[in-house]
Amino acid sequence: MEPSLRLAPSPNAKAASVQDTSNSLGLHDTLQYGPRSIATEVKTVSPIRQRLENWEQTQDNLKLTVQRNVYGLHAPVRLLMERKIVSSMAQMPTLPQSNLHLDILMGRDETLCTGDFFGGVEMRTPQSIHQEMERKYRV
Amino acid sequence: MASASVYAPAGFDFSNQVRNQFLQEKGLPLPKATSTGTTIVGCLFKDGIILGADTRATEGPIVADKNCEKIHFITESIRCCGAGTAADTEFTTALISSNMALHELSTGRKPRVVTAMTMLKQMLFRYQGHVGAALVLGGVDSTGAHLFTIHPHGSTDKLPYVTMGSGSLAAMAVFESAWKPNMTREEALALVSDAIFAGIFNDLGSGSNVDACVITASHTEMLRNYVKPNERVEKEQKYKFRRGTTAWKKESIRDLVVSEEVRPLGGAQAEAMDTS
Repeated sequence: MEPSLRLAPSPNAKAASVQDTSNSLGLHDTLQYGPRSIATEVKTVSPIRQRLENWEQTQDNLKLTVQRNVYGLHAPVRLLMERKIVSSMAQMPTLPQSNLHLDILMGRDETLCTGDFFGGVEMRTPQSIHQEMERKYRV
Repeated sequence: MASASVYAPAGFDFSNQVRNQFLQEKGLPLPKATSTGTTIVGCLFKDGIILGADTRATEGPIVADKNCEKIHFITESIRCCGAGTAADTEFTTALISSNMALHELSTGRKPRVVTAMTMLKQMLFRYQGHVGAALVLGGVDSTGAHLFTIHPHGSTDKLPYVTMGSGSLAAMAVFESAWKPNMTREEALALVSDAIFAGIFNDLGSGSNVDACVITASHTEMLRNYVKPNERVEKEQKYKFRRGTTAWKKESIRDLVVSEEVRPLGGAQAEAMDTS
């Protein structure tokens, strides 16, 4: 992300993509979501979704930008390097994901947020390893 | 290979959004959330804070719960009353309560009301009002007694007496006419009860009983169902039929347990369960 001093994610996001409703072949899944319509794709961009998903990233970007301005480029570069080292080991997608070292570096080892208990592997319908891997690498 | 994000996931799953929008356009009504209609109040008195709430939870025009608890626990000497969507208030206060406990362990100090207020307002602002929780937060900490309101969009007020919910206007009228600084505990409890009565009897979204919570520097007292002005009257007559009112012709008794055999499982010598 480019350096920015924004406090909250900007409300005008990029255009909606077909990725939301795509099946395994990459096209719109008519069986599951109904016929494809441009109106649906444009209207269902929820501003709250874009805000929630980018919130932590925007706050983090602000801190890194301030550190770059105050201490120089090396400060955020070192922090990002540490994060990258720590998240280098991939985890088995079917098991609950947990990376304590990354949590400590990101400053969320002593707080709880909704992402800690919603939306995890336990909440989803049990899928085979192939589907989990597909879901992971589509990211 | 795509690298996973270092950021925590948002927690809420938006994958049904396209489907929901499509169904809504076809005419399917959205499910209604249980709301707490509600009258919640808080007031400052000589020794600390008194919080009050009614106990009715509504689902549109139907009373979903006649005796629900609206005064939630944040820490030992901080409590929070919640108005708005019932699930949102309960979930938000439980989350902030957990975070406050972790924060207390981390700092080693008695938790402060402003900490809870800041956590709540930052979370509610992030959700832009979609989390429908209007809260009255009050407590006593090392800096004194504090009382705050937090609106669903994240704005806060610090005041000596506050009311929130659909019955807030009725309750505020009572407060405005009778509140004075440095009241005693009895005076303050009577005032809070009167304010909640005003909400219960004049607002359709509030009803049933009055809950109160007295928070002082030394201890917190939760007065659940402090006053019950809406008790159902006992029926004057008995409406049961006496035995033998209807004639019966045949009796047949069937034993559900035909034969019973206990077979201990778990190896050659079945060990007795250790119940010590």
